[in-house]
Amino acid sequence: MSYRLTLVEAESYLRKAARACGLDWGIAEEAGKAARWLAAFDLPGPEIMLAHLQQLPAGEYRQCVPDCSKEPWQAPGGLLCPVITGAALADRSSQMLGGHCFRLAATAYPLLLAATVGQAARCHRTVFTTAWAGVRVSCFENGLSIEGNRDDLLLERVDNITCQQDELSEPQQLPATRSYAIDYDLFKAIDQLAFQTYAPATEESRAGAGAGLNDND
Amino acid sequence: MRLARMGSFHQTRLSFMRTLLRRLKREQWRFKRNRWEIDAQGFGRAVYTVYGPERAYSLVAFSHDLPDHLRSDRVIATAWDTTFALYDGIPDTADLDRLEQNVPKQEAGRISDSEISLSRANRSVRLWQHVVESLAAGEQPNREQLESVGYLVRTTAVYGSGKFGAADRLTIAERPEVSGPFQAELLSVWLTRAFAIDLVEHIAAARGGDEAVVLDPDLRRHIGVGNSTGLGMAPFLINHPALLNNWMMAREEAFARVRALQNAEAGAIAVFKHEYERARDNVVHWHSQHPIQIEKLAALRADFEQMDAYIAGHTLADDHPWDRFYRWAEDRLTLEGQEQLLSLMVEPYGALVDDLTQCMDADEHLSFFIDGAMPLARLREILESRCQWALEVDYDEPANRARFWYTSAEKLEPRVGERFDEPGAEYELPLAVGYDIKRLYTALIAVSQDISTAEFLLAHPEHRHTTRRVQNLASHPYAEIQDNLIAADMLPIDILRCKLSFFGATKFDPRSDRWVRICMYQDAPFPHEWLQLEP
Repeated sequence: MSYRLTLVEAESYLRKAARACGLDWGIAEEAGKAARWLAAFDLPGPEIMLAHLQQLPAGEYRQCVPDCSKEPWQAPGGLLCPVITGAALADRSSQMLGGHCFRLAATAYPLLLAATVGQAARCHRTVFTTAWAGVRVSCFENGLSIEGNRDDLLLERVDNITCQQDELSEPQQLPATRSYAIDYDLFKAIDQLAFQTYAPATEESRAGAGAGLNDND
Repeated sequence: MRLARMGSFHQTRLSFMRTLLRRLKREQWRFKRNRWEIDAQGFGRAVYTVYGPERAYSLVAFSHDLPDHLRSDRVIATAWDTTFALYDGIPDTADLDRLEQNVPKQEAGRISDSEISLSRANRSVRLWQHVVESLAAGEQPNREQLESVGYLVRTTAVYGSGKFGAADRLTIAERPEVSGPFQAELLSVWLTRAFAIDLVEHIAAARGGDEAVVLDPDLRRHIGVGNSTGLGMAPFLINHPALLNNWMMAREEAFARVRALQNAEAGAIAVFKHEYERARDNVVHWHSQHPIQIEKLAALRADFEQMDAYIAGHTLADDHPWDRFYRWAEDRLTLEGQEQLLSLMVEPYGALVDDLTQCMDADEHLSFFIDGAMPLARLREILESRCQWALEVDYDEPANRARFWYTSAEKLEPRVGERFDEPGAEYELPLAVGYDIKRLYTALIAVSQDISTAEFLLAHPEHRHTTRRVQNLASHPYAEIQDNLIAADMLPIDILRCKLSFFGATKFDPRSDRWVRICMYQDAPFPHEWLQLEP
């Protein structure tokens, strides 16, 4: 059974799910944006974000943060988090505008990385291309191009990635959907993670929530 | 940008309801009740359609039999007197049947991207019965009672922008008629007003037969739509800093343009005085049982007396009359009075300020971007020049971080807890902006200033969301509420009133420090009145 998620829901659920998995709010916001962006192109951003979050080492954030002091970037724990690393790349996007090509070592779910970096493309009104295995994903200001082997898009892990500015003129695809169909069980798994960011009710919280006077008039 | 002032805002001609109604009038939108399947008890469904130059929108309304004990404005309610969806176009019977299965359930149902908003409303117990009984008996309802309540039904939530399956905001972002802030939601409320009045007359007619009468047109216009709002609305302004900035910029720019006028024409002074009298009249009918608002209303009435004297003693014609009037007010009136005067001052100047309503939207994606190349020293400069309001607070003082914002697992609604008295602070939402800014500043001054923001954030991801906000402040000076949102004495109703004033609400009536009732569209034109009245 599938469930229709609006894009705003995709962003909101995945942001909360990322937070529940121990990511800081600012990084969780990036996770929500990346999942939403992919969903708009009918790509399984919410699903692979869930898969990634489920395998994140709990409380060991530092293990998947890139060491940016030398290339290729690599994680102390051996596998880079695509959201944290994608945000770090977006933060350095001005270097890509200057012609720099970043190289990364072992990274989880490279499509999530491409989507996270891609958020910077719109702000710079340019194209950033992320390439791994046999596929190249180019993020435009408001579009996407995929070249090469689509079977490589959803790889869980790759050992070499490059990321740089590109000079393509037109995207192959514009956002295709505003209502993303997701498998219901996967949606429930995301929902359960998101739910962990909500505080269980207490008598105090119930008392403070409503009108101090009678609701009715 | 202090809460005490934001909590004293009044609606202006830039408010979103008025922008909507001006457009509908300008473009001569047509209005039709396309379906009326309501029984003699007043239960069933109806469809109201408005036809614009390019597209039509329909309010799909359901009226239910709701036992009194289930009537609650709280988000924890599960049943309502009336429920609604704003349909994108004109629904057919299959659409209506689908919506009938879902709209009455509200949050527990699911709508589709053919719908733009989802809402519900409860009857005003004190007014509904009185109006039905009066009309059924062939009499008009009591004017005083009708004016002081101001509405027959009170909405308790209007959801849009992709909530519960509704169309994503992008669906309407390119449509000029509904791309401005909350235009679709407020269109649905305006149609709800028409439905409520039709419903009350329908029930009275069924009950009174030949004796029943309809509402006198003049009384009819005094009926708006109520709204009851809790904390759910408050995080919006904090979560949308670029939008808040643009709303505030438009407002400030409008006031600045009017204050810069060297002279006021006789026609403008006449409009001001007319609106002044209306506002004065509104204060007479504006009631509240809440101690804070009772005090503010008494002060506002006293402010009006002072303004009466000023107006009597000045021509308001020359020598920068509006600037002089406001400077006088700043020294003598309360914040309620000052804000009332500002909103009245812009009334005569539609040609001068109405264009600003086109600047009240925001491309929020652009303010999401972090400039990682920014030297940390520059980030520090922004903090020191734009965030003194946050940096000067001593957060070691328990009263200065007494509260925390969280989402309740029970009803998924935002709430405010007492940090030192209640469990749950580990679920805190990132809404303690001032506190977070100070934490960012403390971490920032402890490291080398020669690094970039990107390098800082790699080591300090916990400050990423705050860095985004602070960088944004360099270009968006009004993006933040410059007050402590977790202080013991913080009043959430101030945030609610600010937002609702931008909507165009009147008669703010707090029910607690975190819950407010308001009136919308009272005295606003009906569709057949476009040509006679100015929205």
